[in-house]
Amino acid sequence: MASTELNQHLITAREAGLIACRRCGRLHDAQPTHCTRCGAPLESRDFESVQKVWAWLFAGIVAYFPANLYPMLRTATLNEHSESTIVGGVVDLIHHGSVGIAVIVFVASVLIPVGKFIAIAYLAISIQNKSVLKQHQRHKLYEVVEFVGRWSMIDVFVVAILSALVQLDSIASINPGVAAFSFAISVVFTMLSAQSFDARLIWDVDRTKHVN
Amino acid sequence: MSIEQNQAPADMDVRAVKRPFWQRISLVWLVPVLALILSLGVAYQNYASRGVLIEISFENASGVAADETVIKYRDVTIGRVEKVEFADGLSDVLVHARVDQKLASYLDDDAQFWVVRPDVSVRGITGLDTVLSGVYIEGNWDKQPDEAQSRFVGLESPPLIRADQPGTIVTLRAPDGSALAKGAPLLHKGIQVGYLESPQLAFNGKDVIVSAFIEAPFDARVTSNTRFWDTSGFSLNFGAGGVSLDVSSIASLIEGGIAFDTVVSGGRPVVDDQVFDLFNDEETARSSLFSRPNQAVLDVTVLFEQSVSGLSVGSEVRFQGIRIGQVTDLSASVEETGGVQAVRLRANLAIEPSRLGLGENATPDDAAAFLTDYVTRGLRARMVTGNILSGSLLVELLEVENARAQTVTKTEDGYYIIPTTKSEITDVAATADGVLDRINSLPVEELMSGAIDMMDSFERLANDDDLRSAPASLTALMDEARGLIANDDIQAVPADVRGAIAEVRQSVAELNAVIASADDAQIVSKLASTLETANTAVANIEEATRNLPEITTQIEQLTAKANALELDQLVANATSTLNSIDTLIGSDATADLPASVSAALDEMRLFLAEVREGGAVENVNAALQSASAAAKALETSVQGLPDLSARASRLVTETEAVIASFGERSRFSNETIGTLRDIQAAADAVTNLARTIQRNPSSLLTGR
Repeated sequence: MASTELNQHLITAREAGLIACRRCGRLHDAQPTHCTRCGAPLESRDFESVQKVWAWLFAGIVAYFPANLYPMLRTATLNEHSESTIVGGVVDLIHHGSVGIAVIVFVASVLIPVGKFIAIAYLAISIQNKSVLKQHQRHKLYEVVEFVGRWSMIDVFVVAILSALVQLDSIASINPGVAAFSFAISVVFTMLSAQSFDARLIWDVDRTKHVN
Repeated sequence: MSIEQNQAPADMDVRAVKRPFWQRISLVWLVPVLALILSLGVAYQNYASRGVLIEISFENASGVAADETVIKYRDVTIGRVEKVEFADGLSDVLVHARVDQKLASYLDDDAQFWVVRPDVSVRGITGLDTVLSGVYIEGNWDKQPDEAQSRFVGLESPPLIRADQPGTIVTLRAPDGSALAKGAPLLHKGIQVGYLESPQLAFNGKDVIVSAFIEAPFDARVTSNTRFWDTSGFSLNFGAGGVSLDVSSIASLIEGGIAFDTVVSGGRPVVDDQVFDLFNDEETARSSLFSRPNQAVLDVTVLFEQSVSGLSVGSEVRFQGIRIGQVTDLSASVEETGGVQAVRLRANLAIEPSRLGLGENATPDDAAAFLTDYVTRGLRARMVTGNILSGSLLVELLEVENARAQTVTKTEDGYYIIPTTKSEITDVAATADGVLDRINSLPVEELMSGAIDMMDSFERLANDDDLRSAPASLTALMDEARGLIANDDIQAVPADVRGAIAEVRQSVAELNAVIASADDAQIVSKLASTLETANTAVANIEEATRNLPEITTQIEQLTAKANALELDQLVANATSTLNSIDTLIGSDATADLPASVSAALDEMRLFLAEVREGGAVENVNAALQSASAAAKALETSVQGLPDLSARASRLVTETEAVIASFGERSRFSNETIGTLRDIQAAADAVTNLARTIQRNPSSLLTGR
């Protein structure tokens, strides 16, 4: 309830007739089209941002399927070579008793990306429709999504390091699989999606509703 | 609410014109669309090139692991095992695998799969790479795409014959498979041209069947006249030619091997799976050239009363000298005849109907009918000697005249019984003895002593002092004659001359008769017949020797005996005779002889001139004509002597030729040739003597 009350006291920059530069943070009044300090284009609201969010999000989701279906790692030892997918690797790790590592891999490679997809999709939907969460909560969600995005690459890093280290010709070698590439792309797309999101829109909708 | 309260005009609601949908669309959408297209494309490609699923059942799939074991064709990986499971009822192991889609149409009926494992055999080590890499499944099929199959039965071991390998498969039938091993080489003139598959028992339980693959183009050498024989192990032959050890390749020594050859041209080309008999050795194989191994045979049996030792399984069965079958089994059986039990020896014979002249397609029933009919007309079986050296026997079917009427009966187990007749088994020792006896009884010694006697006579004649002094005496005689003719008294004796000439004529006639009688070839024909006897003897020896190497030793003894004969003496006599003759001819007196004769003739001419003047000329003429005629008769008769020696010489040459055919290296023949040469030399001496006499007939005129 406190936040609701807080909302009522808030006034947006747009309502105040001001535009903040998204790059350098300088506050302008409505006239200039470009930032007087850094020259970046000024926009009170990026109404195409939702489109971009959806577009990047779809691209990320599309890339996430092969990332899970194809093998992440190709390990070859003397007389056998195996390929393991992300989920398969987690299962293997659990079988080998490394539950902790399994949890880390699972969280980093499955929970977080999927959570990000859901979160971004929720935020995008919530701009256009009525939302359960309050504006502050949604904003915090957005910040978490943006913060967590860079850590999703942990799997890709592991694969990259292993591939670089374990190259002992025929005795043992580890090579990245197709999934490593698509997983990395998926993460990149998701981050782009999150960045495309114009968080200021969060405040408009409720305000409008509130005003109306 | 607030608007109504304010007096100021309402804020103008300035909004941008809503752009159309296609203008509002962000270019960013291209990214997911491209990603989607790319993903779907990859997914489709992946699906499309996924390969076809096949199922191979193995009895034993040791080493085959899902996702690891690959399938290879000509050492190129074409697929991978996806799943290994048991078939219903745990009878087989089912291996599911995906193979390259491009090859799917080649995986037809003839596709074979087997697991490649390390294999160490006599012929080498294979599959060694699988020790490290693990086993893999190898596939093989021909190059003809056909209806694709998805279920295959895997082989337990690599096939020796690849599906696309050109060549011919023939089936070999052997009585015993102990010498045959899978993969054993098939040799042609010592070169490996194929392999054997694993031997299997035939359905009839008697034979062993083995498939043999002959690679192209060598399979063109196989015709229906080709014979296969076993070359496994080694063969040791101990015979007249010495010891011969025959070893093929080391591999065939251990694994066994089969060789083949096509001895006679004109056979039909073989088809796949044609059946050939496998012979135990090359000799048997080659000698069996005229048999037709694929034919059904008529089984008959013969019960012999006497011992069958010498008869063995595989012995020939002959009918009027032609091989018509062979002995397949020998056993003893108890027969009851008239309440008395007797052991009979039973020989089972396999008779090939076509050999009986019943045509190519004759069946055993035809042959049975034929034999049944023939037995009522006197066909009987008997044992005869096959090889006098080894004493082996063979069974002969022959028609016995006036045979006791008998018919063909049948044994309980379905064999036709052919009645027997007395067997004819020759004893090799007896035959050899007979031949030697005959040689021993030849009058060789008499012949030799006769020749020696003759030579002695010649020698005595030549050594006779009287003969030696004959030329001198003749000269003296001539001198005397000259003196006599010079004597006036002589002119009074034409009548005496006439009488003397008459005597000469008479003696010449006698000599004629003697020479004619000699010419009547009593001696010569005797010699000739003796030599002919020797000739036949030699022929006998030759024939005997061909079969009887042992006789050689006896012949050597005989030769030693011949050596011990007084040949040396004979030759010495002949030599001394000739020497004597030489001395005789070479003596000065003989050389003076023509001059003396010429002088004598001159005297004679004078004497005759004088005589001519006298009244007795005509008488003398007549007398001399008579002498001339007598001399001519003497000459013709003497001319017969070279003929005689020529005949002797010819006989010797013939004998020599015979002996030469007997064998150049043999000591015996050398001795014989030497002896005969001596005889020839003796005959030449006779010729020389005759010629001398011919040249100097006056020696005969003198009565010497």
